[in-house]
Amino acid sequence: MSRYILQRIGRGLLTIFVSLTLTFFIIRLMPSNPVELMIDPHMSQETQDMLMEKFGLDKSFGEQYILFLKGVVQGDLGVSFGSRANVTELIAQKLPWTLLLIGIVLLLVVIIGIPVGVLAAKRKGRLSDRIISIVVTMGISIFIPFLAFLLLYLFSFRLGVLPTAGAYTPPKGEGFSYVLDIARHAILPAVTLSVMMLANAVLYTRNSMIDVLKEDYIRTAYSKGLDKKRTLKVHALKNALIPTVTVIGLQIGVMVGGSVMTETVFSWPGIGRMIYDAVTALDYPVLQGGFLLMSVSVVLMNFLTDLVVAWLDPRIKLGGK
Amino acid sequence: MATIVEFKDYSMGFKDDDGVVFNLLDQVSFKVEEGRALGIVGESGCGKSMTSLSMMRLLPPSAVVQGGEILFQGRNLLQMSDAEMEKVRGKDISMIFQEPMTALNPVLTIGFQIGEALKIHEPSITKEEQQKRVVEVLAEVGISNPETRLNQYPHEFSGGMRQRVMIAMAVINHPILLIADEPTTALDVTIQAQILDIMKKLKGTGGLVVVTHNLGIVADICEEVVVMYAGRAVERGTLKAIFDHPLHPYTQGLMASIPTTKSEKKPLHTIPGTVPTVFDFKEGCRFADRCERCTEECRKKRPPLKKVGDDHLVQCFLPFEGEEIVHE
Repeated sequence: MSRYILQRIGRGLLTIFVSLTLTFFIIRLMPSNPVELMIDPHMSQETQDMLMEKFGLDKSFGEQYILFLKGVVQGDLGVSFGSRANVTELIAQKLPWTLLLIGIVLLLVVIIGIPVGVLAAKRKGRLSDRIISIVVTMGISIFIPFLAFLLLYLFSFRLGVLPTAGAYTPPKGEGFSYVLDIARHAILPAVTLSVMMLANAVLYTRNSMIDVLKEDYIRTAYSKGLDKKRTLKVHALKNALIPTVTVIGLQIGVMVGGSVMTETVFSWPGIGRMIYDAVTALDYPVLQGGFLLMSVSVVLMNFLTDLVVAWLDPRIKLGGK
Repeated sequence: MATIVEFKDYSMGFKDDDGVVFNLLDQVSFKVEEGRALGIVGESGCGKSMTSLSMMRLLPPSAVVQGGEILFQGRNLLQMSDAEMEKVRGKDISMIFQEPMTALNPVLTIGFQIGEALKIHEPSITKEEQQKRVVEVLAEVGISNPETRLNQYPHEFSGGMRQRVMIAMAVINHPILLIADEPTTALDVTIQAQILDIMKKLKGTGGLVVVTHNLGIVADICEEVVVMYAGRAVERGTLKAIFDHPLHPYTQGLMASIPTTKSEKKPLHTIPGTVPTVFDFKEGCRFADRCERCTEECRKKRPPLKKVGDDHLVQCFLPFEGEEIVHE
């Protein structure tokens, strides 16, 4: 087991290293120059050179790369070109907001997605199952930014019941009213992000539940005198959740940095929004930091997913012998 | 001798997507007496498994009961509510399934799966008592180190061991009727013999129904035999009657196809053709197309049920010595 964990950590580090390297060079191959964006053209050549030197842009790619890697190992991701803020601190400040959204999405998946999937499987072919299937298909195929704008238009603009942007109304409140304020702001982005995850959770739970319910061991459970409820809960659900957990786990990993569109539309102060801003400003250090976080979270969620699946299914031996 | 279960003209079939019902089991009648074992024999697809699942009321969703009664200790199982049936299943009637590899839940421990059968019918049982009973029953079916094996999962057991676990699960509540559906088909021969020994020991008090295509198993443990062909019980009687004087051409064909130590080196007898599927059953005798002694009449009408001697019934148009028609 410990050997397995070491192996996984090793492989994870390798993945992160490769992704870091790719990110580093891809960013620099973009056909635009951060200095031009950042620096007033009227500045003297001297000042420009000084800035270039300050951000290390005067050095060759190779040198920059080595410096970057050195920094990463030391936990120093450099300083933002734009705000001059320390990137590590910037991420530490943005990450909780993104994690809050992910937390809400996960909660919705567990309390709505999985039960609805089970219900649809139980009523396979009946009207309720068909309605659920239609809604799920729509959820999977909808263009998320469109949905975001639609929700924003409906609830914030037309009905005016929910705030349009940000995570809270400044000035920052205190205690319960602050929490409530954040909750009101989180509703729309969380709903937008949940749509696809929920649809996937329902779809995977439903389909694997239907397959599991055909298994011989379900008949065995009934033959012992179990009622339908207990058979579903004790004998079918654990088996049926294995594919759902795998899919949701991997998607959550992607979501840490992947909700760029949604966070931008709702001006949510999270990682996705940070990456969007960094791309527009060609803020290399922030972009690098954002992509590093993305690859770390994907690797981490992969590992966690494997652990949960192994816990659900005793046939999976971690590490193997 | 008390009757444990009795099928009275039981018929069932399958509904297709358009709602059209195709009959499979056609007026099947037989009974199982206390302390005796009944063998249900026939080829694949003849309705053996559907007969046993009918007793458990665990038929697949597309199945439709078309008529008749299944009396268990005098109560019609077909009219029980789901809740009543849940009390009967696993307690009064238990079943051993034919697929030991897939009939156990892969993500739950053996101890949990067996203990659950106990707990569900005796909710007040303590954890210690439950564990003790599970260990006892595992030892009974020949599993060594039951205390350690309790916490293992099905994939850590071999096929034969899994079948023992299935048996343990089925007998832990000492059922009045035990149904074994092809209990040894998926196992190799030495394990088969061990499982049959366990089954023989279990016969004692209740009734036993063994569903099999293996006549050797029937001869080994059963006292009564029902021969099924394409959903009909074509011949039934005591083991001796059926094995010594098979009357129905199908039973005769089956008997002739068993190799014996006296067999000469020539091809074994075979019955030409295959069992028709439920979709192409015809009016008359369902065996007609494969029968060497088929007549015009056989194809037109359902054959009459005849009693030939004590405890021996056959469904055939052929004349038998001393026959007595029970019903047309």
